[in-house]
Amino acid sequence: MRFWGFRVGMLIAILIAVSMLTFGAMNLLGDPLFNILGPIAGDTENPENIVKIQAAKEQFYLDHSLPERYGRWLGDFVTGDFGVRFSATGQPPVSEVIKERLPRTLALSGMAMTFTLAIGIPWGVWSGSRSDTIRDRMSTGVAFFFVSIPNFALAVVLYYVVGIRLNWLPLRFDAGDPFWQRIHQLVLPAISLALPGSAVYQRLLRTDMITTLQEDFILMARAKGLPRRHILFRHALRPSLFSVVTLFGINGGALLGGALIVEVIFGIPGVGSLLVESIFRDDFPVVLAIVMILTASFVVMNFLVDILYSVIDPRVRR
Amino acid sequence: MTSPSELQANEPTEPVEARRLGLGFWLPMGWILLIVGVALLAPVLPLKDPTDHFIRPGERPPYPPSADHWFGTDQDARDMFSRIISGARVSLAVGFMSVAMSFIVGGALGMVAGLVRGWFDRFASFLFLVLLSFPGLVLVILIIVLIDRSVLTISVTLAIAGIAPVGRLARAATLSFAEREFVIAARTLGARNSRILFRELLPNVIIPMGALVLLGVAAAIVAEGGLAFLGLSLEKGETWGKLIRNGAGSRVLRDSPWVAFGPITVMFLTLASLNYIGDYLRDFFNVRETGLGR
Repeated sequence: MRFWGFRVGMLIAILIAVSMLTFGAMNLLGDPLFNILGPIAGDTENPENIVKIQAAKEQFYLDHSLPERYGRWLGDFVTGDFGVRFSATGQPPVSEVIKERLPRTLALSGMAMTFTLAIGIPWGVWSGSRSDTIRDRMSTGVAFFFVSIPNFALAVVLYYVVGIRLNWLPLRFDAGDPFWQRIHQLVLPAISLALPGSAVYQRLLRTDMITTLQEDFILMARAKGLPRRHILFRHALRPSLFSVVTLFGINGGALLGGALIVEVIFGIPGVGSLLVESIFRDDFPVVLAIVMILTASFVVMNFLVDILYSVIDPRVRR
Repeated sequence: MTSPSELQANEPTEPVEARRLGLGFWLPMGWILLIVGVALLAPVLPLKDPTDHFIRPGERPPYPPSADHWFGTDQDARDMFSRIISGARVSLAVGFMSVAMSFIVGGALGMVAGLVRGWFDRFASFLFLVLLSFPGLVLVILIIVLIDRSVLTISVTLAIAGIAPVGRLARAATLSFAEREFVIAARTLGARNSRILFRELLPNVIIPMGALVLLGVAAAIVAEGGLAFLGLSLEKGETWGKLIRNGAGSRVLRDSPWVAFGPITVMFLTLASLNYIGDYLRDFFNVRETGLGR
């Protein structure tokens, strides 16, 4: 129980540390007032502008101290209110924008992750059980190819071959509603993310499978005459999954980052393109909200990985 | 029934002659040396000006590859071959600079943490955990947007993102050596921590870290390419990422795929070589490690 208490404490501490860092950096290094009002922010002569500046300062709480503003933001954030945008009107609220964009990114990431595991794990088990055959050498070569090609380059290649030459899958994401009927348009971007990822899983799992298959309990299972598939997936896979689970935690965060880039290539209006737009407009509250969402999902992912560890290997729980 | 021999996994170790660096090492190494050499010597090589427009009267660019332009030209009739080399200068510089910085900082933090333990170890481990919990790309984007988009800023930012993985590896490697007999012997003889760190631990830790340098350079080049796609790479000049992005628009890609595929090919060959040599060296040194036990 103390172990989980510590893990939850750590999770919250990291979220607070990251939010303070981001909040502080954006307010100290940037100039929020300028981002809201534009060039008139520095005007101290025209009384009309001075009134506007005063109003904006009050609306966005810029006349309060930094810790006070952080506290106010944190209080709102916990209740699901991400504040107002840095624009002359502050509309629409950040929560609304996020609510519109986030499902697309999550769908893309989820699809990419499913593909990654669905390809990577059977592939790793297969080549681990046939190590040093010709077929294993070939699959290792294929894996090496995908490990070395960055996902954005693969996205461009797939875009060209599958989208333009073969004309099989839709190229552009059509944002027209309803979203869930458009989900097939995410297949090509998801594959661009999944193939390099699954190759990494394959390499790791293959090595671990080779080690596991030399254990005595595998010999025992073979001696009992169990079917090959049963031995591979019921006996050998579970103790081989340890490093795969670790990678799953690390990759989960990287996957969101990759989704962000691939989204831009395929023109999917998700969180990635929102982040790019907000950065160009210096719309810090939106950036802050996205940073918090990405960090939270990353930390929670690591937490889930810890739970998974104890499912695979009960000794960890002590 | 399947025969038992089918399940029999072979020994995962390399054969003995793998101790010598073979063709599998020198082929990718040759490519890396070639590309680094060309990048370094670009100003004195007889290359076309990467910013010059080679417009042919009566024809619309981009022009396909020809004897004149080996990799074709882009939409503005600029020579792709010299642009890729010009991009190599920046991409490789960012890769090597960021890795050098993250290895100096992360390596020092990790090794000291592994050696002195105590509060410094807890501090360093927590720092690594926080850095790892911060999505790398977001960190990079924040810093680049808030400061500027120069080669130095981008390299430093990628270096910060690399500190935690390098530091953790350095700490783990140091921990595994810190309790070994030769360190205890040095300590008994009255050696101070600084001497143990540089004379006893560093030569041992640097071997597993060495292979990671090449993998790190590859990762940094990829990261820079990703930033280019977000429009966040260098403000001026070419990088491989920017060149690929320039050719990745659906129209350009359909009518003149060479604009994107030239830089993609060169970038892929470089990344594959770096990864291959990195893996090769790691296995090479692993053989030495396990060879002692047998």
